Amino acid sequence: MRAATLYQRSSLLLRRRRRSIEPYALVPSGSFCTDNGDDFESTNTSSRVTIFDRDLKRKQRDRSAWLMRPDDSFVNAVAENLLDRLEDCKKTFPSALCLGGSMEAIRRLLRGRGENNSSELLSVSKLWLYADLDLPGAINGSMRNEDVNDAMYWWNNERHYLVFVPGAIEKLIMMDTSYDMVKLCKDFQHDAPNENIETSFVVGDEEFLPIKESSLDLVISCLGLHWTNDLPGAMIQCKLALKPDGLFLAAILGGETLKELRIACTLAQMEREGGISPRVSPLAQVRDAGNLLTRAGFSLPGVDVEEYVVKYKSYRKLAAYTHTYSLLHHDCCDLDTSLVILFCSRLRLYAHKSQILLGVAMELIEHLRSMGETNALLQRNNILKRETALATAAIYDSMFAAEDGTIPATFQVIYMTGWKEHHSQQKAKRRGSATVSFQDIQKEFGSGS
Amino acid sequence: MVRVSKALLKEASTGLSKTLSEILVCPLSKQPLRVCEETGSLISDSIGVSFPIKDGIPCLVPKDGKILDIDDATKRN
Repeated sequence: MRAATLYQRSSLLLRRRRRSIEPYALVPSGSFCTDNGDDFESTNTSSRVTIFDRDLKRKQRDRSAWLMRPDDSFVNAVAENLLDRLEDCKKTFPSALCLGGSMEAIRRLLRGRGENNSSELLSVSKLWLYADLDLPGAINGSMRNEDVNDAMYWWNNERHYLVFVPGAIEKLIMMDTSYDMVKLCKDFQHDAPNENIETSFVVGDEEFLPIKESSLDLVISCLGLHWTNDLPGAMIQCKLALKPDGLFLAAILGGETLKELRIACTLAQMEREGGISPRVSPLAQVRDAGNLLTRAGFSLPGVDVEEYVVKYKSYRKLAAYTHTYSLLHHDCCDLDTSLVILFCSRLRLYAHKSQILLGVAMELIEHLRSMGETNALLQRNNILKRETALATAAIYDSMFAAEDGTIPATFQVIYMTGWKEHHSQQKAKRRGSATVSFQDIQKEFGSGS
Repeated sequence: MVRVSKALLKEASTGLSKTLSEILVCPLSKQPLRVCEETGSLISDSIGVSFPIKDGIPCLVPKDGKILDIDDATKRN
């Protein structure tokens, strides 16, 4: 059955390729609205490889918009980290583009920061005003000594924070491939607007960035770019959209992500099915990230990695309860409930004996779904056998569960920073342009010590 | 041609903000887009494709685009 569909797909591909040999093939025909837009991809980008099913990813992002949790600590941590990096830059970014992934978190946090900052600013400047106008009075009366000291310290040392995030971004464009996700962000924006930032919304594909050349000061992407088939191409397009001295800031998931799940899946599949199929998508390694930045032509590339371990509460107690309950009622719920139902509804999770073990791993899977990070490989295996799933959950539990009954999942996040080249940026001098020999330096300092 | 479409973009009143109309281009050809107020869509003249604007949000994913028949016809002629 599967072989047949595969054959069909490949024969379709063949046919499409043959058609492109015909004359008039360059006139855009219906081709780029069909299956995968192969024709267009091949003309636009150099690589023909399609690893991910972008359509499926779009649907998953739709679902993720429905399931999204605002209190997702992992996503928030990554978004915070990205924005911290932004704050480290002394430059201002009047126009910014926020690419898909967890862009709601970025929007929310940007807003939070803006507010905190301006209120802090206001109170401190008020303090300073008091201190300035009526310093002795303030010290004797209404203001505490430390407050005045604080205000003076702040004024002397931390004034430069005035050119800070809220003023730094004036126009923000939020882009995602999923309409529902963008709509959700727009609704949130409507309810709780960012006063300082003019925000607009677009539905667009990172692989086909609909942005004019040199029109942006900042491109920020939070956990979205690792799903692109052509990551170098997407990054090159980002670079083109940036103005000179523009900043590209991205967080993607790295290869160590979900290693526990990867191990558990592989072992379970080997054991139950005698072979393995990709369940967890391939991700970029750290060393690749640097190469990607250089290949896309960014100057001053910077890559760093952070690992987060998220602990999921297992449902063992609840599961045990359901277990006894079903035994008492002689509920012989045969193991026929399909996993589709299991994955669709959380409530049914506890209703069936076979699913007790899976409950342990469900929290993890649900988290992945709420982030829109579930498998979207083009060659994925659509069928997950119940036995394999159970075995996976069991192996995961036995190999990685902590003593307190939680199961850990590692997320490796690679942060990439790159700038579009500009003459003001520091760069290495031309080879052979040195006027002092390194040996002389060594002599100089060697003799000194 | 390009100049005309730019002028049109600036006068656009289909709920598209000025920022967006200045920055957005066709995702495939990277050429400027023209706002069609009748159908409420963005039209890329260079490849003859229209992209919908849903609720003020322009949808510029290549798959959302519709090929314009008229344009095809003129090209064939």
